[in-house]
Amino acid sequence: MAAEAELPAIHGRKLSTVVPGSVTGEAAVYELANIDLVMKLHYLRTVYYFKADEIIDSLTIKALKEPMFPWLDVYYPVAGRIRRTEAGRPFVKCNDCGVRIVETKCGQTLEEWLEIKDSSRWRQLVPEKVLGPDLHFSPFVFIQFTRFKCGGMAIGFSWSHILGDAITATNFINLWAQLLSNSPLKCQQHLLSPETKTEKTPIKLPASMELLPVKQVEHVGDSWLSLNNSKMATHSFQITEEKIKQLQAKESGQISSFEIISALIWQCLSKIRKDKGPKSVTICRNDTSAKRSGLLSNEQKISTVVSDFVPSKVAISELASMIAKQEVAETKMIEDLVDGQSGTPDFIVYGANLTFIDMEGVPLYELELKGRKPIHVEYSIDGVGDEGAVLVLQCPQQTYGSGGNGGKMVMLILPEDQIPPLQEELQSAWGVA
Amino acid sequence: MSIAEYFKLCCHCLFNNFLAISLVSSLMAALIEVLGLGPDEVQKLWTSFQAFDAFYLLFFWLAFIVLATVYFMSRPRPIYLVDFACYKPPASCRFPFSKFMNHSTKNEVFEPSSIEFQRKILERSGLGEDTSLPPAHHVIPFTPTMAKSREESELVLFSVVDSLFRKTKVKPRDIDILVVNCSLFSPTPSLSAMIVNKYKMRGNIRSFNLSGMGCSAGIISIDLARDELLVHANSNALVVTTEIITEQWYTGNRRSMLLANCLFRMGGAAVLLSNKRQEKRKAKYELLHVVRTHHGADDRAYRCVYQEEDAEKKIGVSLSRDLTAIAGAALKANIAALGPLVLPLSEQVLFFLNTLGRRFANPKWRPYVPDFRKAFDHFCIHAGGKAVILDMGTKLRLSEEQTEASRMTLHRFGNTSSSSPWYELGYVEAKGRMRKGDRVWQIGLGSGFKCNSAVWRCRRSVGREEEEAWADCIDQYPVQVAERDLQH
Repeated sequence: MAAEAELPAIHGRKLSTVVPGSVTGEAAVYELANIDLVMKLHYLRTVYYFKADEIIDSLTIKALKEPMFPWLDVYYPVAGRIRRTEAGRPFVKCNDCGVRIVETKCGQTLEEWLEIKDSSRWRQLVPEKVLGPDLHFSPFVFIQFTRFKCGGMAIGFSWSHILGDAITATNFINLWAQLLSNSPLKCQQHLLSPETKTEKTPIKLPASMELLPVKQVEHVGDSWLSLNNSKMATHSFQITEEKIKQLQAKESGQISSFEIISALIWQCLSKIRKDKGPKSVTICRNDTSAKRSGLLSNEQKISTVVSDFVPSKVAISELASMIAKQEVAETKMIEDLVDGQSGTPDFIVYGANLTFIDMEGVPLYELELKGRKPIHVEYSIDGVGDEGAVLVLQCPQQTYGSGGNGGKMVMLILPEDQIPPLQEELQSAWGVA
Repeated sequence: MSIAEYFKLCCHCLFNNFLAISLVSSLMAALIEVLGLGPDEVQKLWTSFQAFDAFYLLFFWLAFIVLATVYFMSRPRPIYLVDFACYKPPASCRFPFSKFMNHSTKNEVFEPSSIEFQRKILERSGLGEDTSLPPAHHVIPFTPTMAKSREESELVLFSVVDSLFRKTKVKPRDIDILVVNCSLFSPTPSLSAMIVNKYKMRGNIRSFNLSGMGCSAGIISIDLARDELLVHANSNALVVTTEIITEQWYTGNRRSMLLANCLFRMGGAAVLLSNKRQEKRKAKYELLHVVRTHHGADDRAYRCVYQEEDAEKKIGVSLSRDLTAIAGAALKANIAALGPLVLPLSEQVLFFLNTLGRRFANPKWRPYVPDFRKAFDHFCIHAGGKAVILDMGTKLRLSEEQTEASRMTLHRFGNTSSSSPWYELGYVEAKGRMRKGDRVWQIGLGSGFKCNSAVWRCRRSVGREEEEAWADCIDQYPVQVAERDLQH
């Protein structure tokens, strides 16, 4: 709390709404798939930092808003609002209500801001809104533009997971940047409603739902945020390329950086937790190579990995290979849990079990404003359950604070009291964090 | 065709061509007389003509020339409409219903009942999803300032005047008369001074700025420009009509004032009038008549559209429930004045006989509403609201196609106040319906209560591509404007 009091005040808040440039047909509706409804209690928060220079300086709020009108013509459901069928199932009414834009100023320079050690500093730069309690008017997307004293800019992007996964969200915001930079559009896809997606083949439900990477939560009604029992906090740190290579070298066989980092953290977490768990974790992979079925979709591969033994006693390589050899994607099984008529019950995925999310393929650093790429990106997820989540993100060489070393950025979203001991364990055992 | 209808048609033809018929018949009679004369009688007639003194001949010729000159000189100078341009708001100003409801809900001044009221009005308003509000309205919280009103003025006026100069190829320094009307926003220096400043117009320009005159002020501006052009020969007049609505958003809870929020939208138009000979060739229309009627003497009509403060000192324009009825009465008075100028003789005689009859014979006779469809080809009724247009249409016995321009303007642009007759004219042009010789009737209705009419005749066929404000959406029109359901 003391750290927050030192954070420079973000001031001069101005709100506005941007709607699609042309009229979406009357009574246009975007149907939500079952998997979308499973993800509805999660929100993706990203902050992109841009260094001050004459291009970034020249981007007035008008210039930033101008490409949004044709952009929302393509992604018109994003400008819609939630409605419910008579049975209670949520869907999107494409009524051109728009996305919310926030403009703010910061009294510090970008350099000074990035020096701040507080891991939750990003919260000031992106709106922490959720859907509800007034669902009729809650926007799916918020974008916050913060100008630093030096002229640098932070773009805070809040995305409701109900509309799509991390790749969907990133492609969405990247399209805006492409339109801003007047580059030829790389997006050729069209919006497809879930009906046109491939038919679901019925799969036998597993005997126990505990094996599924979801947790049913109490009915949230119209306020779409699940309450946690423990207070969650975030912490991020970098693992350099060399370190990863070192760790990989220790183990035999081909282990990817995501797998080794996940295994590392799983083992350390098991060591510091009283219950020596968790024995089962959820793995979420965002597969950029797979062909997507539409502009808006939740297509991340979700699966569960179960360790028979206490993870703290299992070798890293063992854990890593378990993670690598994931079970079949359980997305279909999860989808079948949702009632077709009412859209209930309410679930969370991230944090139902300890969740490791592979964000390596997500093109976060592709957000190019007239040739300028972000120098740093912070990413988090809100609505994560008590078991917590770990995100493994890109960390390109040229980014701020990477010391030119590249590697991976790890974002921990865990109960507050687990973070300091975990940091200690990682430092002492592996020399990271 | 039944005997009665045939008889009616014959009477109409007879009356309408009365003069022509009598002239032709007397000429025929004279010719028959002359033909009936014998050759020596013709000789006698011819010699009697030759006997005329040279003096008398010259005298008659001179008299003839003088009379002809006096006749031609006393005819009023023709006033031409060279071209006009309507303001097309950018996509960034678009304000769909959902955004309207969202922003209204976020505005803490509105009580839930007021929001519900506005929603109901919007649903039945006849407006579409493409209407626009000025940039100040897109921000939460809504903070209107004079600076923002000026911004809106510059955005609308400069854009529309630029458009007009481009279309007509007239230079700003060639403008001799400038008339600007904007009812609610009246800064100092005036909006007309703003235009003179921006376009660096001449020092001896005759500029006028009309404010407070309501939605019918567009026609009043045309009337003023016409009077100026009748006095000053060889001149161009620029007429700019708009309503700057940034500071007019009512932020209170009185229902009669909330109506305006739901109906009024951003818009404007610029018109170039001229009496110059060189503009005659490319002019689109000729101004035939302007008829203005004022009902301010009647208290109810005077208070019908009334700007005032509510109990919380919030300023708004109150629209009374009698608006449609008062508009109907105002229209009746206007057409009584306009009728004799434009209606064919047959209709005028019928109207006269009907009035006589109601006065002396039986007051219970139904008043005869002349058939204005015989006088005009296109109708541009101020797009005040769905009810007003429907009522006017019923009173004038107009078909759906004849009220289409008004209804579609209301749908696409909303109630843009004094500039709406211009959007409607633009609609007719964009649809390719304007032909040479067509007569257009523009009706403006507004606070006062005033009903003003302008009558134009089309001088050349107008291509569809000439109209810019409607260009990108005209093919989607007409649309069936059904009542919307905004709740679900």
